[in-house]
Amino acid sequence: MTGSNAAPTVATWDAVIVGGGHNALVTAAYLAKGGLRTLVLERRERVGGAADTSALAKGFRVPALAHTVGRLRPSVHRDLDLKRHGLALMAPEVRVFAPSPGGRGVTFFDDVARTSEGLRSISPADADAYPAFDRLVRSLGRFLDELGRSTPVDVKAPGLGDALTGLKLGRTFRGLGRRDSQTILRVLPMAVADFVAEAFETDVVRAALAWRGVRYCAVGPWSAGTAAILLMDAAGNDGGAAGDSVFARGGPGALSAALASAARAAGAEIRTGAEVTAITTHDGRATGVVLASGEEIAARAVVSGADPKRTLVDLVDPVALGPSLGWRAGNIRTPGVVAKVNLALKKLPVFPAAGGDGERLLRGRIVVAPGIDAMERAFDASKSGRFSGTPILEATIPSLVDPLLVEGAKPGSHVMSVIAQYAPYKLGDGDWATSAEAFGDAVVAVLESVAPGIGKLVTHRQVISPVDFERDYGLTGGHPLHAEPGLDQFYAWRPMFGHGRYRIGGIDGLYLCGSGAHPGGGITGGPGQNAAREILGDLKKRR
Amino acid sequence: MAQRYDAVIIGGGHNGLISAAYLARAGMTTLVLEQRHVLGGAAVTEEVFPGFRFSIFSYVVSLLRPEIIRELNLPAHGLDILPLDGTFTPLRPGEGPRAGGGDYLWRVNDHGRTIRELRRWSKNDAEAYEEYGQLMVDMARFIKPILSMVPPDPSSNDPRPFLPLTTLLRSFQKLSERRQAVFVQLMTMSAFDFLSQWFETDPLIATMSASGIIGTYQGIKGPGTAYVLLHHYMGEIDGAFRAWGIPKGGTGGISNAIGSAARANGAEIRTEARVATIRVGGGRASGVVLESGEEIEAGAVLSSLDSRQTFINLLEPGTLDAGFEAEVRRFKFRGSSGKVNMALDGLPSFTALPGPGEHLRGAISISPSTDEMEQAYDDAKYGHWSRRPYIDIIIPTLVDPSMAPPGKHVMSCFVQYAPYHLDPSLGSWDDNREAFGDAVVDRISEFAPDLKSKILHRNVQTPLDIERTTGLSEGNIFQGELSLEQLFFSRPVPGWARFRTPVRDLWLCGSATHPGGGIMGANGRIAAMELLRSRGKRVA
Repeated sequence: MTGSNAAPTVATWDAVIVGGGHNALVTAAYLAKGGLRTLVLERRERVGGAADTSALAKGFRVPALAHTVGRLRPSVHRDLDLKRHGLALMAPEVRVFAPSPGGRGVTFFDDVARTSEGLRSISPADADAYPAFDRLVRSLGRFLDELGRSTPVDVKAPGLGDALTGLKLGRTFRGLGRRDSQTILRVLPMAVADFVAEAFETDVVRAALAWRGVRYCAVGPWSAGTAAILLMDAAGNDGGAAGDSVFARGGPGALSAALASAARAAGAEIRTGAEVTAITTHDGRATGVVLASGEEIAARAVVSGADPKRTLVDLVDPVALGPSLGWRAGNIRTPGVVAKVNLALKKLPVFPAAGGDGERLLRGRIVVAPGIDAMERAFDASKSGRFSGTPILEATIPSLVDPLLVEGAKPGSHVMSVIAQYAPYKLGDGDWATSAEAFGDAVVAVLESVAPGIGKLVTHRQVISPVDFERDYGLTGGHPLHAEPGLDQFYAWRPMFGHGRYRIGGIDGLYLCGSGAHPGGGITGGPGQNAAREILGDLKKRR
Repeated sequence: MAQRYDAVIIGGGHNGLISAAYLARAGMTTLVLEQRHVLGGAAVTEEVFPGFRFSIFSYVVSLLRPEIIRELNLPAHGLDILPLDGTFTPLRPGEGPRAGGGDYLWRVNDHGRTIRELRRWSKNDAEAYEEYGQLMVDMARFIKPILSMVPPDPSSNDPRPFLPLTTLLRSFQKLSERRQAVFVQLMTMSAFDFLSQWFETDPLIATMSASGIIGTYQGIKGPGTAYVLLHHYMGEIDGAFRAWGIPKGGTGGISNAIGSAARANGAEIRTEARVATIRVGGGRASGVVLESGEEIEAGAVLSSLDSRQTFINLLEPGTLDAGFEAEVRRFKFRGSSGKVNMALDGLPSFTALPGPGEHLRGAISISPSTDEMEQAYDDAKYGHWSRRPYIDIIIPTLVDPSMAPPGKHVMSCFVQYAPYHLDPSLGSWDDNREAFGDAVVDRISEFAPDLKSKILHRNVQTPLDIERTTGLSEGNIFQGELSLEQLFFSRPVPGWARFRTPVRDLWLCGSATHPGGGIMGANGRIAAMELLRSRGKRVA
């Protein structure tokens, strides 16, 4: 560790940002707009982190990790004028198509009444229950969105601002009405399996809706607290019960490119191929960063878009952090259980459950989750270090809405992006280098069960394991959300109690702006926007 | 002409009796109605086999609030708690640091000895154990005031019930950041994740995390189980947190002592008096009707039964509004534990530490690894009883020889998991009782191979049996799961955690209310206090 005791030099930068993921870029844009001299340092050759479009094969481009961007906060979109910077969003009318191996399927549309009508052939009771459930998810999601937009209150030493936040949240809470306000407290700690079972009787409907309660997380639908994960995902978008399905033209990387363009336009400088190896501190203050090249860069504030565990355990001098905080940071839970499988396809696969309507029904997210118990069994494997033999999948075929992705390929070609669970970071036997293809086979086998013949259409396949996520994208434990979004790493205690306000207590001038901070992961820009607000406030005070 | 009392209490379990004692002490004419021939509900001692007496259901005590023991002067009424020392986790040959015949992990009240024992396994864990123990005692101290609090209704606009919470918030702010963080973790994490922050010895984590699943339909890796861990840490005996004991004469000894205190204060107690309905007229409860047809009038009716029994089974349909009734039906019970009581010809011998000895005088925990604990839950998740269950064994005759004929023993085995709802392919619990009993015996025999040759009699209590005998819905020993969404202001119905019900003069006073289950008694005491306060009576 170099430079941790270096005396502060004159800082050329007001803020240096570690990592160029989407949240870091959002923070950079806001800070630059606020007049701060801002520098973004990205280890890889292009910005975006997990919001990335990569080449799968000649003529095929594919969302590397995340595949939809519908949770991007509307105010970020507006404030940074992302449309002008090239962002085009596309929202198909189908949100989720959930095919069953038997050739039947459930479709969730953007229109609640239409979804409900479709459910009627499966279960009249579920059809009747859907509008009320959708309303409940929206109502509770709105409250959580309000929570997500504000900086968590300082429970330890509340100030005037915290009291105002508290009052505002209290008002929103009361705005829920007596019934929903009681419901939210009851529902948040619940298992998502119980939550959906309160409304629906059909297993496939329950499973399709419960999926967002476990997506990216080391929990099964019967785990307590998964209803909160579902509701957090429903915060700040108009997805309702089904969730959103919004694509960026050109893939998620196009969103990152737009954010980078907005940041640059506002005056931020972005350097790629610049890996930060240490955050320097002096006298309890962050003073800058050291790059892999040995170059030292001084700044008034160091903002980390990297995950909190990497930031605190790997980048900050343990002496500066102190043993207690270091121990706690080391215990931040990052149990990655997701792998990504990207496929290049000769033509559009046939899903019997879609009838002849594949072109239309396959445009949203295709969720292959046969039932609640099947999801739970897939999770069971991961608890003892095995990947699931029949994983749960969320697939998209983004080339259906965005032909740009297969521009250079033969006509009729498509790309498929598959989020596959459960694939634990730590395998009991063997390692991911030798197991990745076997997991890829398991994923294709599950796809075969709902789209017979799809295997023969695959011309290229890419399996990205949690270990790859960690190595290539710096995600500790391969966790796409930077830290497990359990109720133990939530709100004012995300990532750790006492450090949930984007600042790290004990080290002035060190900030977190990534998914490991409130309100958590997903392509939202939320933590980045909130963090920027706090940093601007602090730095203006110090001027 | 029907008899009339100021208060009629349905159910003579420990909470019902405690409420009765407090109400009678304040001068109310009070009647307790118990359906069975014995008092105590799930805290009963019965001679199941001639000469062998068993605490058939609840079998240890630690949570009984000290203020209740003091205020009701229970020792004068015969309460005598014999301390249990230690937790012995036997392992199989080849497991553990000791070579040869097998090893064990044995923690005792003597702190120095436990640390030496842990050091054998892991120096880190021995060090962490001290810090951890202190932390948990601090946590239990911090949360203790909650046990005697009446939860506010979070959706209410009346600020007064929130005042105790602000006191709590202030004491929270006085905790160190480290302790604040630990408290948040305790409320949200899994027992396994929580403990893994300190410890690396697998049988230690497995055994300690077992406290987090007692009575709960969750595995040790299920979020929310750390709270149950804390719930079991709140027990005090003679001022020492985390101390367990068994009442002399079995858990029925507690019920009899409380019953005696209630009677001494003037309460009347009737057994074999099963309530069929709660009478409601003009929106208020006016009494009860027994199964015999006898009617009893009352100024207030307190039910120590769980919320489903009280609201669904004892009230006429249509008494409650549909929304409230839906919430009652939603409350989760899901009994997950069974009990196997054995009469033994002699003590079993554990391979890890053969022969009789001190290690058999405390709890014997069949929890050799976290994987086996979690797999026991995985069986239950899909509707099967655990093929290789977690078992908490006590041999009460070693501290209280009066429970069996000379030279003989009784052995109490608390078993998880035994899910109330079995997969339909298995049939009913009546078809599975003995197979489940066999699985328990086989499981213990992995560690004590001679057990089978010592068994004289075996009594298996499935969750269905617990429900049939005690009336606990779905056999849930806590009158409803201790999951986060069913605690504090949501217990047993969101907005109705203040012991009152939508029916005026109908009150709840059992484990279904805050602060939950176990032989704690806080529920019965606070309910009585609230009722007295509402009547303008002096609360002693």
